[in-house]
Amino acid sequence: MANFEDLKEEARKLLREGKIKYLIGYGTGGNGWQAIPVFIKTPEDVEKLVWDPTCVHNLARFLVDEKRRKARQKQPDKRPVGVVVKGCDSRAIVVLLQEKFIDRQDIYVLGVSCEKAGVIDDHKLARKLGGKKPKKIELAADRFLITTADGKVEFPVEELLAERCLECQANFPVLYDILAGEKTRKAVDKPFGSVEKIEALGQEERWRFWKEQLDKCIRCYACRSVCPMCYCDECVVDSINLAVTADTTAEEKAHKVKWIQRSAESSENFVYHLVRAIHLAGRCIDCGECERACPLDIPLRFLNKKLEKEAKELFGYEVGFDPAQPPLISSFKDDDPGDFIR
Amino acid sequence: MTLEISSGKMMDKILEKKSLPLWMEKLNAWTVYAPRKDENERWNYEIIDHAPASLELAVTTLPAKALIFPQREVFLEFSKTIEGNRETLEVREVLPNGKPFVIFGVRPCDARAIWLLDRVFGGDFTDPYYWKRRSQASLIGLACHTPPWENCFCLSVEGSPHGEEGLDILLTDLGDSYYVKTLSTNGEKLVQAARELFKEPQPDDKKKVQARHAEARKKLVRGVKGTKKERAAALQGLFDSSLWDEESMSCIQCGICTYLCPSCHCFDINDEVDSISPLRGKRVRTWDNCQFPDFTMHSSGHNPRPDKASRLRQRVLHKFRYFVENFDQVMCTGCGRCISLCPVGIDIIKVLDKVSNHGA
Amino acid sequence: MAEEFEPKIVAFLCKWCSSAGSDMAGVSRMEYPPNVIPIQVMCSGSVSPLYIFTAFNKGADGVLVSGCHPGDCHYIKGNYYARRRIYFVKKLLEFIGLEPERFQMSWVSAAEGTKYTQVIKDFVKELKPLGPQAKLRRNP
Repeated sequence: MANFEDLKEEARKLLREGKIKYLIGYGTGGNGWQAIPVFIKTPEDVEKLVWDPTCVHNLARFLVDEKRRKARQKQPDKRPVGVVVKGCDSRAIVVLLQEKFIDRQDIYVLGVSCEKAGVIDDHKLARKLGGKKPKKIELAADRFLITTADGKVEFPVEELLAERCLECQANFPVLYDILAGEKTRKAVDKPFGSVEKIEALGQEERWRFWKEQLDKCIRCYACRSVCPMCYCDECVVDSINLAVTADTTAEEKAHKVKWIQRSAESSENFVYHLVRAIHLAGRCIDCGECERACPLDIPLRFLNKKLEKEAKELFGYEVGFDPAQPPLISSFKDDDPGDFIR
Repeated sequence: MTLEISSGKMMDKILEKKSLPLWMEKLNAWTVYAPRKDENERWNYEIIDHAPASLELAVTTLPAKALIFPQREVFLEFSKTIEGNRETLEVREVLPNGKPFVIFGVRPCDARAIWLLDRVFGGDFTDPYYWKRRSQASLIGLACHTPPWENCFCLSVEGSPHGEEGLDILLTDLGDSYYVKTLSTNGEKLVQAARELFKEPQPDDKKKVQARHAEARKKLVRGVKGTKKERAAALQGLFDSSLWDEESMSCIQCGICTYLCPSCHCFDINDEVDSISPLRGKRVRTWDNCQFPDFTMHSSGHNPRPDKASRLRQRVLHKFRYFVENFDQVMCTGCGRCISLCPVGIDIIKVLDKVSNHGA
Repeated sequence: MAEEFEPKIVAFLCKWCSSAGSDMAGVSRMEYPPNVIPIQVMCSGSVSPLYIFTAFNKGADGVLVSGCHPGDCHYIKGNYYARRRIYFVKKLLEFIGLEPERFQMSWVSAAEGTKYTQVIKDFVKELKPLGPQAKLRRNP
C-alpha cells in the first residue's frame, strides 16, 4: 500500500514531467501546526505537502475556481490539475462529475485515507487543551498525539474527531489515481445519529432550536462560499448577485425578482438556509466546511444531513459514490413514496 | 461632530473586582452589554441578565462596531395613502431612539477602530444614524495584559494594548482590583452613577498600571514591518503585481475577514417594499462586503474588480494605503480576527511581509 | 363574537389538471371555502421549493401544490419530479419545526372538481386551529 511519501514522489514526477498544471494540497499554515490549502507549482515545493489530522479543508472547492479561471482565459492550459482528497472530499468530486461540472480528465486525484480516524474539531481541541497552544498533531493508530509547549498529551480519537467523522461512511477516497493509506472501512453504528437526536425533539422544541441558531446569522454567505457544490454564478436567493452582462436589458434588470431582503432578519435567514439545503439535497456530502466556516457557529450541517438521511432511507440514494448515478432531484423512480399526497 | 472630551481634571479611581457586578447593576439608566462565552468558547457582546464576576480578556467574534453600526438599520419608512383621487406620499425618518448603552470589556483595538469610523461617518458629512447611536454609546475598555490572541499586532499599526482612543473609560486589571481611568464626560457619568463603589488610588497604583502596560507591550509577538508611510509607499508600486494573484489563490470569497473587521464599514442601501398596493416600505442599510464578487458590478455589466486578486488587493490597500492618504491613519487596528477566522489561513501580516520584501 | 381566523392558502395548481379541476368546481357552482389564492403553473414539476418558502415568507398560512395524477402529466414526467422534490421540502419544513399540516400536496385531475373542493375543505379545517403562520412570516 502506498504511503504519503510515495504520494509526494508521484506528485514530484507529475510536476517534473509537466503532466499536471499545479497541485492543490495541504501545507502547514502560519501558526506552525494547522494545515492550510497550498498550491504547488514546482517539484521542489512538493516538500511543503503535509497530511495530518488538521487537514480539514475540502480541496475540491478549488476545482470550481480552476474552472472559472479557465473560462476567463483566451487560450487556457488544458492540462489536468492535481488535487489531494480525503474520503469526504472525493465524494464531492464524484458529485461534480455526476453533474458534468468537471471532466474526469481535468483532474488527477491523489487520495489520502483517514484510516480509522479523521480530522480534528477545533473547538473540541481548544476545550481539551484548556488554552494551551498545540505545536504538532499526529495520529498513532487510535490515538491523537498532541505536542504542546509543556510536552506531549494523547487522547483517544473519538474525543477529538469532528462530529461528521464520527458518522463517516467513506474514510478513504471513492475515486483516486493514487492512494496513500489503507482502505480500512470504519464501522459506523448510527450514520445519522446526530440528526436523529434533533428529530427526536418535539416540534416546538425543534423550532426554538432552529430559531435561536438562525437568528445569529449575519448573512456573510461564508457557508455558501466554502461549499464546492454552491458553484452557481448567480445564487437565486442573493438579490445582489445578479449575473448582469452588457446584453441584459433595462427591463430585465428592473423586473428581476428579489426573493429575500439583504437584511439579516429571522424570516429572511430561514428562507436562505432552507433553499440552500434543498438545493444541496442529494449533493451535499457532509464535508462539514459550512459549519466550520460559519463565524457564529450555527450547526448548519444538520439541515443538509437530514436530507441526506431522507435520500438514503426513502429513495435508496447514496450521495457521492457513483459518478454515473443521475442526480437525486432530477431523477425519479416509479415507486417513489407518495403517501403524503392527497 | 466629535465627542466631548472633558477638559477638566478627571480623577482616576480604583474599583475592587468584587464591586464590578454591583457597578453594572447600578447602571439602570443604560442598557449594559458585556462579553459572554458560549459553549464553543466563543465570545460575543450580549445584554447581561446577571453581571459577570469579572471581565476576562475576550476577543468577541463580532466586534463592538456591530452595536454602533448594526448589520441592519432602517433609515426611513414610506407609505402612500389614497383618498378619493388624492395621493399622499408620507416619508418618516426613523432615527435610532433606544436607551443609552454601555459596553464593558471593549478591547483597545475595537475601540480604536470605532474612533477611526468616527472620521468616516463624521467630518464634512455627518451620518445622523451612526451619530445617534454613537452618542448613546459608552465604551469601557479593558487593557490587554496579555495578547488575547496569537494573531494580535496592534503595536505595529499605531495601536496599543492599553490604547485610549474611542474609549470613555479604560480599566487596567491589577489583580484584585481595576485601575479606572476616566477619559470623557460619558465616562464620568458612569463612575458617578455608582461613586460610592470607587476608591482613591494609592500612590504606587499608577506605577503598577504602567508596569502592567509595559509587560503587555513586550508580550506581543507578531507585527507588520515598517512605518505607515513606508507601507503606503510600498503598496503604491505594487498595484499591478502578480503578488495579489498568488496570495489570493486559496481565498474562497467568504467575506468573513470584512464582516468581522472592527473597522470595515462598507454598506448597501435597499428599499424593502412590504406591500405594493397600498405602497408601504422601508429604506434599509445593511452591511456590504468588498470581497463579494458583485460588490463592484456596474449596471452596465462591467465589473472593475472581477477576480479574487483585485478584491484582496483592494482590502489591503484600503487598510494600509488609501485610509492613510485620506485620514493619515492606518485603518487596520491589529485585532487579528481576519487571520484567526479565515477558513483557509490567509494572513494579512504575511501578505504585507511579502509586499515589503517585494520592493527590496 | 371575535372574528374567526380565516387561513390564507396559496395553491400552486398545474394548468392542465389541477387548475382545470378548480375551474370545473367553479363552473359546476360547487361550494367550497374562499381561502385559496390560486397560482397557475404549467406543471407541478415546475414548482421550485423557493416558491413554497416565499409563500410562507410573505404570510401564507398554508401552501398547497397540486398536479396531475402519476402517469397523466401533460409533460409526461413533471409530476414524478414534483413528487420527489416536494417530499424533501415537506421533510425539511417538518425538521425545522413548522407544523406539518401547513404544507400539502395533492393529485387533482381536470375532471375532479369535487375532489378539489374536498381537498380545500379539509385543508381549511386543519389550518383553522393552528392559527396564523408566524414562524416563517416576514414581519411587516
